[in-house]
Amino acid sequence: MTTIGAAPATGRRTTPRSGGRRRWTFDRVSLFVVFLGLPFLGYLTLVIYPFLQAAYYSLTSWSGFTPTQDFVGLDNYTRLLGDDTFLKSIGNSLTLLVVVPVLTLVLSFALACLVTFGGASTGGVRGLRGSSFYRVVSFFPYIVPAIATGIIFARFYDPSAGLLNGLLTSLGFDGAQDYPWLGDATTAMPAIIAVIVWTFVGFYTVLFVAAIKGIPSELFEAARLDGAGRFRTAVSIAAPSMTGSLRSAYIYLGIFALDAFVFMAAMTPDGGPQNSTLVITQQIYSAAFREGRFGLACAMGVVLAVITFLFVGIVFGVGKVLGREKKAEARR
Amino acid sequence: MNRVTENLSESTDETSTRTASPLARRRFLHLAGFGVALPVGLSACAAGGGSSSDEETSDAPAGEVTEDNPFGVADGSAIDAVIFDGGYGTDYVAFAAASMADLHGDAELTVTPSTQISQQMQPRFVGGNPPDLLDNSGANLIAVSTIAAQLEDLQPLVDANNLEGTPIKDTLYPGMLTDGEYDGRLVQLNYVLTVYGLWYSKSLFDANGWTAPTTWDEALALGEQAKAQGKFLFCWGKEAATYYLTLLIDGAIKEGGDEVRIALGNLEADCWSLPAVQAVLTKMGEAVSKGYFRPGGAGTQFTAAQAQWSQAQEAILYPSGSWIENEMKDQTAPDFQMTGAPSPSATSSASMPATALHASAGEPFVVPSDGANKAGGMETLRIMLSKEAATNFAATKLSSTVVKDTVPDDAFGSTALASQIAMLEAADTDSFSHTLVDVYGLNTDMLVVWNSFLSGELDVAGTTSAMQDIVDAVREDDTVTKVTVS
Repeated sequence: MTTIGAAPATGRRTTPRSGGRRRWTFDRVSLFVVFLGLPFLGYLTLVIYPFLQAAYYSLTSWSGFTPTQDFVGLDNYTRLLGDDTFLKSIGNSLTLLVVVPVLTLVLSFALACLVTFGGASTGGVRGLRGSSFYRVVSFFPYIVPAIATGIIFARFYDPSAGLLNGLLTSLGFDGAQDYPWLGDATTAMPAIIAVIVWTFVGFYTVLFVAAIKGIPSELFEAARLDGAGRFRTAVSIAAPSMTGSLRSAYIYLGIFALDAFVFMAAMTPDGGPQNSTLVITQQIYSAAFREGRFGLACAMGVVLAVITFLFVGIVFGVGKVLGREKKAEARR
Repeated sequence: MNRVTENLSESTDETSTRTASPLARRRFLHLAGFGVALPVGLSACAAGGGSSSDEETSDAPAGEVTEDNPFGVADGSAIDAVIFDGGYGTDYVAFAAASMADLHGDAELTVTPSTQISQQMQPRFVGGNPPDLLDNSGANLIAVSTIAAQLEDLQPLVDANNLEGTPIKDTLYPGMLTDGEYDGRLVQLNYVLTVYGLWYSKSLFDANGWTAPTTWDEALALGEQAKAQGKFLFCWGKEAATYYLTLLIDGAIKEGGDEVRIALGNLEADCWSLPAVQAVLTKMGEAVSKGYFRPGGAGTQFTAAQAQWSQAQEAILYPSGSWIENEMKDQTAPDFQMTGAPSPSATSSASMPATALHASAGEPFVVPSDGANKAGGMETLRIMLSKEAATNFAATKLSSTVVKDTVPDDAFGSTALASQIAMLEAADTDSFSHTLVDVYGLNTDMLVVWNSFLSGELDVAGTTSAMQDIVDAVREDDTVTKVTVS
């Protein structure tokens, strides 16, 4: 995860062109060894090597408990292509990949706008009254460990003893009596998405507040003098000036949504009603640890990795194309 | 790892004299040393470190095989037992240590408790140094099919005499070994007796003049009476919806006899459409459509659902294994008098008598073939199956082992345990078992179907075809080793 954010930033800026050739002093060599060599070694052994290892195991029928593995070629992959449950879990993961980041980003961007420039329209540009309080409060859900959040909300959605149905029935919604939010195929996924969004909105609000504060306040003042309302300011001033933050946030959230294991394991550990909340990571877990098919589980892992790479590639690609168009427009 | 770190920090001491801020760099390298040492240790965890296990086992010290030492345990040898530390704890295994030391010249039995059996044992199986005895139980157990080929056949154990001089297989309740067979070998010994059926509150039933149903017609009639009192016949939890699948299979086997058990166990085509299966499933569907199931089960955590039966008493019957008493100990209404009854058949003209019982055993003990002292592992089991150790288990855990006649008539004051023994005695040789769900790991897939069925979203026909699809897929899958049921 760290590599995605860090690579483009360091890759361009750290090469010192101005100094020209430098001598290989002990200082410089030891600096390279410690700051580049060791992390790279760690990266090789902890990231690249296990990755290649998993890719190899995906071509075997390894049970996970034998010292040797039988090579079976692409059998595991053909098996996955014909496995309806696995394809369904891919579908569910892709749903999460689209819905979770969009909802979270829209909500947290709106909140960030409110607490930075959504306040009174007289005087200096500022957020709503008490905005620093909201900023702190909205961060709370992020501090709670995901597994605790999951367990709490599993009880919250409980059909007979849950807080939600208790509130709804006391308000007169009789249909909510004993309604299984996590046990009905139409509501299970939305219910879980709501929990995930609730968890992350605060963190991204704080991230976006920082991004908006980085935009020169003269821009906001100028926009207001020109008669732009808060919505217009958010869409035309704030959003275009923080595309970098938005894109990184989208990638982080997307990678998280492709995982989502903790929330699912806490709320619908068996895949939910009609497998409506089953995700790839749960399939990997059960193939490896319940069925003893580590080879197959590794193949699923490789598929998940490919999807992740494609997703990141698409987001960066789209960002680049949009950036180019914008530059071309500006030149005209 | 410490050695590596020390060496690194020593070498920095020499170089640090030349650097500007020696202290900071020294500390950094010290940390970096950790960073280097760690991956080396970690990478050893993955496969590939497979040592030649055959040599190790042949080096194992062997004692003389005698009448009192049927497996040839060497005097003073060490036995490594890894035991699941769950509801029963591990002290009942450690109890065997004293006898072990007495019998075999201070042979030392070491018990290591674990709740992460699969995660902790995986590297040991891969590395060829598994324990001598393993209690493969709990949520993180290793699927038997995964390691069956790496386990000892325990037939010599049950053929051997126990400490009192009786062959072990003659001291067990009937049918206790069937579930331990895989691919024609007895690979695991299930130690704790488990009886499946319907559980109810005797005090509640007595107060209302109800009796436990022996057929599904009686069950539906009872559902009507319960409804009149604002109670439900059944309740269920999302992780335990398949307890009703067990109830279905039990009832179908009683209705149609062994041929149903064999057809289901061998995953035969159209086995879910057998008349006996359909007869019970149709009655269950009727109970669902008449609203005898407490709604909302598909979204309720299973112990919370069980408390709706044992504590709130909103439902009057619950299908489960005999672990239910222990599991709900803290959430059972006072004077509940938990009592069991055999699973009902569809009609009163069933192939098996009403007392026929689904009885099997839990807590599977296995002896890995690569263990350094597998004779010691077998001997530990032989001691555990002695009268003394089995009685100790019954008295301290309020559950019976698979060994007969270790529970006194008052069953230590437990109505559930007393009813287990009574049911077993009434069933006599009419006890049966079925393991297709566990052997093929079908529970996760079938839970989905059963949550839908019990919610009323899937009718009898839909449930039948969904179950058949799951079973057909396993039967057609060549990578799955099949267990032949007879």
